[in-house]
Amino acid sequence: MKKTSLLLLITVLCLSVVLAACGNTSNTGNTNNEGSTNNATKGENQPKPVKLSILAWNNEKEMKPLIDGFKEKYPHITFDFQFAPPVADYVAKLQTMLLSDTAPDIFMIAAENRNEIIDGDFALDLTDEPFMKIMLDSNKSMVSKDGRTYAFSQSGWAGGLFYNKELFQKAGITQLPETWDEFIEACLKLKEIGVIPLYDRMHDITIMQSAMFGSNVLSKDPTFDEKLFKGEATFAEGWTEVLTMWKEGLIDNKILTPDMIGMTSDQVATEFALGNVAMFPGGPWNIGPVEEMNPDIDFEIMGIPGKEPGNKYYNGAPGTGFAINVKTKNKEEAMLFLEYMASHEGLKQFEEGTGGIITVQGYESEVDPRYLPAYRDGLMASKIYLPMVTWNRHQEALRNQFLVSYQDIVVGKITPEQATASLDNKLKEMDNK
Amino acid sequence: MAKFVRQLQFLLFLLPILAIYSLFTIYPLVKSFFLSFTNFDGYTKTYDFVGLKNYARIFVDDAITSAISYTLFFTFGKALLVTLLAIPLAMILDQKFLTRNFHRAIFFFPSIPSGLLLAYIWGFILAPISSGVLNNVLRELFNFGPQPWLSDPLLAKLSTIVVATWAITGWHAVLYLAFLQSIPKDYYEAASIDGANRLQKIRFITFPLLAPAMTVSVMLLLTGGLKVFEIPFALTKGGPGYETYSITQVIVQRGISETQYGLASAMSIVFFLIVLAIAIFQVTVMQRREQGLQ
Repeated sequence: MKKTSLLLLITVLCLSVVLAACGNTSNTGNTNNEGSTNNATKGENQPKPVKLSILAWNNEKEMKPLIDGFKEKYPHITFDFQFAPPVADYVAKLQTMLLSDTAPDIFMIAAENRNEIIDGDFALDLTDEPFMKIMLDSNKSMVSKDGRTYAFSQSGWAGGLFYNKELFQKAGITQLPETWDEFIEACLKLKEIGVIPLYDRMHDITIMQSAMFGSNVLSKDPTFDEKLFKGEATFAEGWTEVLTMWKEGLIDNKILTPDMIGMTSDQVATEFALGNVAMFPGGPWNIGPVEEMNPDIDFEIMGIPGKEPGNKYYNGAPGTGFAINVKTKNKEEAMLFLEYMASHEGLKQFEEGTGGIITVQGYESEVDPRYLPAYRDGLMASKIYLPMVTWNRHQEALRNQFLVSYQDIVVGKITPEQATASLDNKLKEMDNK
Repeated sequence: MAKFVRQLQFLLFLLPILAIYSLFTIYPLVKSFFLSFTNFDGYTKTYDFVGLKNYARIFVDDAITSAISYTLFFTFGKALLVTLLAIPLAMILDQKFLTRNFHRAIFFFPSIPSGLLLAYIWGFILAPISSGVLNNVLRELFNFGPQPWLSDPLLAKLSTIVVATWAITGWHAVLYLAFLQSIPKDYYEAASIDGANRLQKIRFITFPLLAPAMTVSVMLLLTGGLKVFEIPFALTKGGPGYETYSITQVIVQRGISETQYGLASAMSIVFFLIVLAIAIFQVTVMQRREQGLQ
């Protein structure tokens, strides 16, 4: 019996070693054969049929108008379209594909994976391509490093606070708050008449916290994050005041309460649509569902005011950028696709399909009038901020630490000073890993 | 020689499953062990050997210390509750009554859908605001104010245990039921003739003969509990703070989200050893208990 077990054990170990050895062998052969599947020539003047592979977090239905338009113009190019839902699933799928040399010709760069993609030399440098000229500088910043740009990003989004105009009137709030103190005052007025002022799920760095950082720190020093990651500033210097204002204004006044942590986004939107809460943080994606639930509701979006008047900010970021795999065999066709994407026709089709807001030079997006303040004063005025875009390394680790720390503030376990100290420690730990 | 050839024949039959097991279980384990000594980030194929640095980092990670305490609380809490509920339930389902099969199916059903799906549905029931189903019921029936079921540190922990217990009790009851049905009826008849009452029959016949079932059930509950991920993740995302972070969530967080595969691999190896030690200890103790009882 012992002999049999020993024999089994040896066989298992042998197999493992063989497999481990296989795994360690670097796979230098390019297994990406998407492009070479249809290489039969049809005639000297006719272009070769090519199959372009794409991985996106917009699904096929959203991308269909753009792809159909492109196929009409270039009938010899067909697509192998792959979809992975944002964000974690998409990032993980692309990562696996890149690691195993099976990445598609075109893929998306998001705030969450831009450092790994750019630093790993996985994307072609597109800086000097003519179609890149229409990109806004604010869009370029997310997909660039050292002055070189690696993806084409044509859209953007901004999030702020949706407010119910009727409930504001009922509470006697005739003018939108221009400073943080006025905002807290408005919340307390709503509370006085028995209306819940605000719901916030507090499940990520919140729209309000990001916008508050913009209105209180970036409005004075737009290069703060750059300094932070060069070691010339600390989280404690930038975020302690913001988190203290947030805690004293919203938590200590019980405008936000710990029980909101467990809410889902649907619950928040439903409560707002039903008129049970006066405000909630959201973006353009919330307008349709709220209207569907209550077509009579009168609402609009507003920015988050700072300590001083005139510094309203929104939470927001450029949309994801489309990049070309550095190892693609279909570089020419992939370039044609991005070029088409950047054309007026392509931009319109992308807008139609995805419902995104186009933010390139020379193109005016049609936006819902209730969202106009965020589009006009936030997105197009570059008064938007999302930490993940300007934190230039370890975003995920820092984001998670941020989330955990401020939830601990909400349940009264730590102070804002301790929270920002934990962020500084996390950055140090990640840099020394 | 003939004996060896005979054994070799048997081993040949084992080869296919051995290959699959090696590929999907042993190989990842060996590879994780190897990666735990490197700074592999999941993107680049080149990585450096960093010795025991990753192992040293595990024990200063505040997320992992919090996750270990929550995971142990969850595991033992769930194992205790399920065992206390599944044995009486199995006894009831063993009785003869009209809707017996229907009831067996009803109690078994929650163990079929994925834990993630169940937890999302429970998320609506336990929603912390007044529109949450449970809070609504409590308000209507007892005029009881809304409770933060998923955002108070203690209540969130208890809520995850309750949901997990609800989902798996029926499955374990069916396991106990299978063992109950294998107890010969003669023992009960003999006990009746000797004048034993119902409680005495349970105490002296049912419990001792259910001991092997308990060993299996508790082992599955402990190993399953230690590996928990989906229920707390779907209900609370690990919050508030690190309060309901499970060990597996920290591993996924550090490895995939933060691209620290080396550290996550080291955590996995330590976690594997902890689960192995607990499982060996539990099975040894409970097998001794079986022998004692029988």
